[in-house]
Amino acid sequence: MNAPAFQAKDFKSDLKPIWCPGCGDFGVLQGLYRALAAIGRPPHEIAFISGIGCSSRIPGYTTAYGFNSVHGRSLPIAQGVKLANPDLLVVVAGGDGDGFSIGGGHVAHAIRRNTDLTYLVMDNQVYGLTKGQLSPTAPRGLQTVTSPLGSLEEPINPLLYVLAYGAGFVAQATPADMPGMTALIEEAIRYPGFSFVNIQSPCVTFGEDDQQLKAHKAKMKTLASLGHDSANQLKAMDLARAYGTELYTGVFYRNPNPPPTYDALIRLRQAEQSKKAVPRNRILDAYLQK
Amino acid sequence: MTTRGIDYDRLTLKDAFDLAILVEEEARDRYEELAAQLTLHHTPAAAGFFTKMTGIEEKHRQQLQVEREKKFGSEPRSIQVELLYDIEAPGYDEVRAFMSLGDALRTALASEVKAHAFFTEAVRNVKDPDAKALFSELCEEELEHQALVKAELAKLDPTPNGNPNDYSDDPVAL
Amino acid sequence: MVDDLILGMAGSGGDGVVSAGESLLSAASSEGYHALMTKSFGSQIRGGESSCRVRLSTNKVLNPGGALDVAVALNWDDFFRFGAELPLSVATVFIYEEKAGPPPATLKERGVMPREMRAVPIGELAKKSAGTDKAKTSVVLGLLSGWFGIPSTAIARGLKKKFGNKGEGLLEANERALATGIEYATAHPLAEQHTLALPTKSGPKLLCDGNDMCAAGALFSGVQFFGGYPITPSTEVMQTLSKEIWKYGGVVLQAEDEIAGVGAALGASFAGKKSMTATSGPGMSLKTEILGLASLAELPLVLLNVQRGGPSTGLPTKPEQGDLFQAVFSAHGDVLRPVLAPTDVSDTFKITVEAFNIAEVYQTPVIILSDQEIAQRKEAIDPIDTSKLEVLERRRPTEAELVDYSRFKLTADSISPISHPGMKGGNYLGAGIEHNEKGEPTASGTMHARMNEKRFNKLDPLKKRTDLFEVSGDPKASIALIAWGSTAGVCREAHALAVARGLKVKLLVPYLLYPIAEEIYQSFFASVRSGLVVELAHQGQLYRILRMFTDVPRGLKSLARSGANPFQPSEIVSRLAEMSPEVN
Repeated sequence: MNAPAFQAKDFKSDLKPIWCPGCGDFGVLQGLYRALAAIGRPPHEIAFISGIGCSSRIPGYTTAYGFNSVHGRSLPIAQGVKLANPDLLVVVAGGDGDGFSIGGGHVAHAIRRNTDLTYLVMDNQVYGLTKGQLSPTAPRGLQTVTSPLGSLEEPINPLLYVLAYGAGFVAQATPADMPGMTALIEEAIRYPGFSFVNIQSPCVTFGEDDQQLKAHKAKMKTLASLGHDSANQLKAMDLARAYGTELYTGVFYRNPNPPPTYDALIRLRQAEQSKKAVPRNRILDAYLQK
Repeated sequence: MTTRGIDYDRLTLKDAFDLAILVEEEARDRYEELAAQLTLHHTPAAAGFFTKMTGIEEKHRQQLQVEREKKFGSEPRSIQVELLYDIEAPGYDEVRAFMSLGDALRTALASEVKAHAFFTEAVRNVKDPDAKALFSELCEEELEHQALVKAELAKLDPTPNGNPNDYSDDPVAL
Repeated sequence: MVDDLILGMAGSGGDGVVSAGESLLSAASSEGYHALMTKSFGSQIRGGESSCRVRLSTNKVLNPGGALDVAVALNWDDFFRFGAELPLSVATVFIYEEKAGPPPATLKERGVMPREMRAVPIGELAKKSAGTDKAKTSVVLGLLSGWFGIPSTAIARGLKKKFGNKGEGLLEANERALATGIEYATAHPLAEQHTLALPTKSGPKLLCDGNDMCAAGALFSGVQFFGGYPITPSTEVMQTLSKEIWKYGGVVLQAEDEIAGVGAALGASFAGKKSMTATSGPGMSLKTEILGLASLAELPLVLLNVQRGGPSTGLPTKPEQGDLFQAVFSAHGDVLRPVLAPTDVSDTFKITVEAFNIAEVYQTPVIILSDQEIAQRKEAIDPIDTSKLEVLERRRPTEAELVDYSRFKLTADSISPISHPGMKGGNYLGAGIEHNEKGEPTASGTMHARMNEKRFNKLDPLKKRTDLFEVSGDPKASIALIAWGSTAGVCREAHALAVARGLKVKLLVPYLLYPIAEEIYQSFFASVRSGLVVELAHQGQLYRILRMFTDVPRGLKSLARSGANPFQPSEIVSRLAEMSPEVN
């Protein structure tokens, strides 16, 4: 066995995470380092895009090119990056508020375009950076500073959401199971097309006690142990309905025949059309009246 | 504590050394990381203890490294860090801002217990007799480490000192 | 013989007056005339009333012009619906469909009676010659050719383009209708001859609108990415690039919304590619947050805002110059981004190239403020000499600079070499959060001040760019005339008329609206006692911004009114005359 080109520590930057000690995101970060090492692309060929939130700080803690952009807009920005340079490995990360509240409208379109990028959502059912407000995945009845009398809303089900729009790779993980999570991140990155991993990453400061990693360890069930066939999209949707009650980890759905990606189609079109290019000083000729 | 794909049937003495070195390396890096987290979050006593643990784990790693080099020189390793998860390294969720020194010691103790369990398991599974011997030795060492941490714990003032969360400022919005 | 002819036509959408205007424009331009066409529609997507104005000239056309020399009405209701767009004068020759009946009283109520009213059995002539009264506009083109001397061979070429590959016999039928119109005109001459002179200098022309020239300018600059969302009146830029950009290795992404459009464009710029987006007012409002990110992350980005009447949905198909405040001020935080404005179809090309150059060189978003009139009016213009146009690139780090690279390094000119993903050693964290030179997040006030200073200072050279200002007239003149965007075209004509009347007026047209180039304005103002800043927006936004950022002469006033109601050169000249001590 040859020594791998990169080790996990090659992806660790000198910036110290601001996350609270005990935060689930530390495990996610460690898992990501390891997944990236296993993938073996050099850090400068990786673009890591995020929005705003605790988890959106993650690009800065890697040695990849990072873009910690504005709230809810990581997916459009990431698609711009990937389409501008399909050679890059593009990873997108953020929280459940960033992805399914303020940025919720972008998810469907990233999926339908099937741009080859990996979207990691660190789902903690709460707004941590702004001190514990209700998030879109928070359960009905949850009391937070903005729902002191209990939430009156149903949560978004991120798994069902992305499955319904036809995402080709959908998984759920928790840093309570580091090897499992790391393997899922790696598999998601390797999937040729839009891939999504919902990572239950507890907020140690504002999260509920029954959402912490120790609770995850007791509660989680792997989809493999249930005998789930990840090629079965309908069954995946059925299982995904248990979001919020059960903690299933593993691959819900993996398209066994991944369709061509948007970035690949774009390359084809560029190659096809490039024959028609004219020199710069002839561009205006198209408007010439003879 | 989990491992991924360690093939004990084929594990050689060199692999056993490398595995042990990586276990120490992972623990060293984790303690260093946790010490940095707690320093940033103004939890100096626990941070100080984790820094000390960083040094201890590094010393163990070096000792193993020296032994390995004596026997196998610079032969490349065939064991990767990706096979190991939190063997002797405390989990990320074991720490909290403002945690007490006592809690930090108990975290380290739990990690030594984990490590002991890992090596005990390894002794049971490994086939190569030399590797088995090394793991047994390491098992013993982990017990010694546990004793050391327990001794430190015993030195602590046993009187309750209040819950830090009752006194700390509220978290800050960013 | 006249050297300038303004025609206006109105009918229902089914009459095809707009496509007749297009044929006329194409015919005139291929003969070497300068020409300009604007269109106006009812609010129906299809089947509404429509009108067009075509101005033909042997000289450069500066604006759509005022009252019509020739008016064509296929029915009275449709014509009067466009009262503001199709003003008449006592010099107008009015051609109308005989079947529509005699001119209604409303014509008289307008206070002007055209010089000559000509009822023509247009539909009947069409039916006879082409076998269908739908060929009406071909008859009209024949009438225009016969009466006003527009070369019929050129019009025939236009018909060939339009009908050549449609149904069998269609072209021939319309050619017969054209000939019939010409014969009718010859047989029934006008009371007073009104023939357009032949072009002084023939030669090929470009036939295009402002949005075409923005797309072409972007391609010329090497645009590699366009992210946008359909919005009137800017969509044509995206449509053109959707066809063209692939040839040059680029991508157009029609995004799910305005925010995603500009977000993807910014992502592409982060990835190292020249990138742009285009929109109009409502979209600009949505894009504002990402523009702030572009400023803080110091990423090049070109944003075209084709202004329309506002606020909110406002008047989507009419021009207004009401988005200057938005371009300059719509941002949270203390930020400066360059704002450029083209003044006509031709210079939209150069301004777009300039916008890309500024964006790339200074690593900043640049806003191009076009407006509906410039963007959508079709013009026959002289070919643009691109041989002297420079295309500039962002400053990338050298090998040496990539050792211990600092993305936001404080340099003498405040411009830091910029890397992009894929470039080894250039790895950095782009962010909307304040950063140090390395790009690491910071909350330090000192660092924030230093970085802000850098972001402002790097743009200082723009304030010396005299080439982004057009100054004409007697340098010692005491009256100033200042205008930007489409209003500049009216003011150029007004300026020439005022000078011909002996008024001491000089003209300033800024292409760079912001930052305010204080020295350039002060040197222009040195001789000025009074003057006008003419703008098509109620608040007169440039006037107010000038007063905010520099000293203006006490006598400099704002001449401003709401959009969709363009200024006429004559009214500006009258106002200038009132200001002139020599005349008073």
